[in-house]
Amino acid sequence: MENVKELKFESPTFKKRLKGMLGVDFYRLFHTPLFYIFLAISAIIPAMVSCLTMMPDQNGNVMEPLYSNVWQIIASTEPLYVIKSISDYANMNMVFIFGGIMVSIFIGHDYKSGYVKQLFTTHAKKEDYMISKTLSCAFAIVCMCLTYFIGGTIGGLIAGYKTNVNVGSLFVAIFGKMILSLGWSGLFTFLNVIFRRYFGISVASSFFFGTGILIIGVASIVEALSLPSSFLNVFLYGASVNACLTSGFGAFITCILVSVAWAVIYIIAGSHILNKSDVY
Amino acid sequence: MNAIEIRNLTKNFGEKQALKGLNMTVPVGSIYGFIGENGSGKSTTEKIICGLIHASGGSVKLYGKDHTDIDVRAGVGVLIENPGCFPNMTVWNNMMIQAFNLNIENPENEIRKVLTLVRMEGSAGNKYKNCSLGMKQRIGIAMALLGNPHLLVLDEPINGLDADGMRIMREVLVDLSKRGTTIVVSSHILGELEKIATHYGIVRGGKMIAEMTAEQLEKSCRTYILIGANKIEDTKALLMRKYLRVEQDEKGFLRVYDQTTPEEIVSYLYQHGVTVNQVKRDKIGLEEYYIDLMKGKGAN
Repeated sequence: MENVKELKFESPTFKKRLKGMLGVDFYRLFHTPLFYIFLAISAIIPAMVSCLTMMPDQNGNVMEPLYSNVWQIIASTEPLYVIKSISDYANMNMVFIFGGIMVSIFIGHDYKSGYVKQLFTTHAKKEDYMISKTLSCAFAIVCMCLTYFIGGTIGGLIAGYKTNVNVGSLFVAIFGKMILSLGWSGLFTFLNVIFRRYFGISVASSFFFGTGILIIGVASIVEALSLPSSFLNVFLYGASVNACLTSGFGAFITCILVSVAWAVIYIIAGSHILNKSDVY
Repeated sequence: MNAIEIRNLTKNFGEKQALKGLNMTVPVGSIYGFIGENGSGKSTTEKIICGLIHASGGSVKLYGKDHTDIDVRAGVGVLIENPGCFPNMTVWNNMMIQAFNLNIENPENEIRKVLTLVRMEGSAGNKYKNCSLGMKQRIGIAMALLGNPHLLVLDEPINGLDADGMRIMREVLVDLSKRGTTIVVSSHILGELEKIATHYGIVRGGKMIAEMTAEQLEKSCRTYILIGANKIEDTKALLMRKYLRVEQDEKGFLRVYDQTTPEEIVSYLYQHGVTVNQVKRDKIGLEEYYIDLMKGKGAN
């Protein structure tokens, strides 16, 4: 054998591996139209919800406004775990539904295109994959929260809603939900790992969990057990709802703790599943 | 040291046993032709080597280390079935993604280098989905070459390639092998494989049924003396009295697989009144050898 190459084996550090994988995920994110489409959707929907309710119908009648305040499109006035009307529901928590669908499509393409086989035949570890996907998708959801905030604010101002608000609570509501993006992203990544061979089911499951509909069942259990409703804040949706226009700093801390705790749980669980099963 | 050493490898998919104690040894620097029918276990073996699926039993060592060690994984380039590329991205962007995965410093230069190697430098700006099948296979090879791997595992890399594409691929693989890269390549196009492989492994029903070097295949399994004569049946019967393995091919010629010379056979037949109208030393191709092996004829 001529010029036989010297065999050198490098063990890339966790930092180096994660840096490479995050590089991939962000590179892909910024090079895919999907991301920008969902950013636009996140801006347009709250603006439309705010404005359309103020437009007269063909008989010239104007329906009762959904909101009285611009910031109610961002968060409800009180932590309503079980919604009573569409206005309670139509706030920044909707981003988690859009985010769920986007994350499902984003991760689903890893499997559909065969990219995962390209990835997992390198030095990549399953844990790296879960962490990288959770972080990059959390970033995407945070960006969607931002465009939602911009769209909702502009729509609310156009609709002529009032703007008075407790700035501290508004801060908690906006940044609390943004921080919860990490936990939600972990959940969606985990769901997509479970249903990785079934693209449609992974999208549907992300939508289903993103709506937070399961909180209704949990709320009834909490009520039956005579537990305080604040117990619901340990769940992602509960903490998201708790970050509202009357929340204090405690709600913000709750958002951080809940988000990080669930993200870690989902990363560990997802890595375990990937490690124990055949990838492709 | 061997690049790959597999012992008693088993893999079950539910009730189905895809690999039944497969053994495989791939020396460093070799081009290992991995041959077998569809469903014989080639792709399953390759996927286990590459860490895509778990083995049910047995051991897989790459350069003496467990194949799951990330330090050896970093030196393995892979093309399994087809490249895992995002169809709406350009070839260049797909290459960049893989370069990030491999933590390649200065990825632009490295990508240009491998694309040039597979003669794809002019197509870097094309969307992957607009590339032909042959181009996609070459992109897959280029991706596998990123990071200058010690070991390349290629599953059907020449599928869909035209004659020129096959020639390019052949040149690339031979060049890489000369530089010390070990290459495992499975293909159904045995004629092409025969031109480059230095070692062969033939798998059937989840087991390795033969492993040999190209020289061994050349020397012991493939030479014969072709005889053309009148009264072919009588001639065959006559030859079978003296030689162990005599066969009639589909063109009506007789093949004598034995340690003899054309002169000796002609002389023997002449003594028995047979007129020989054609005689030559010939060899069977890998494809024919493989078919014989599959039929259970084996080597002579």
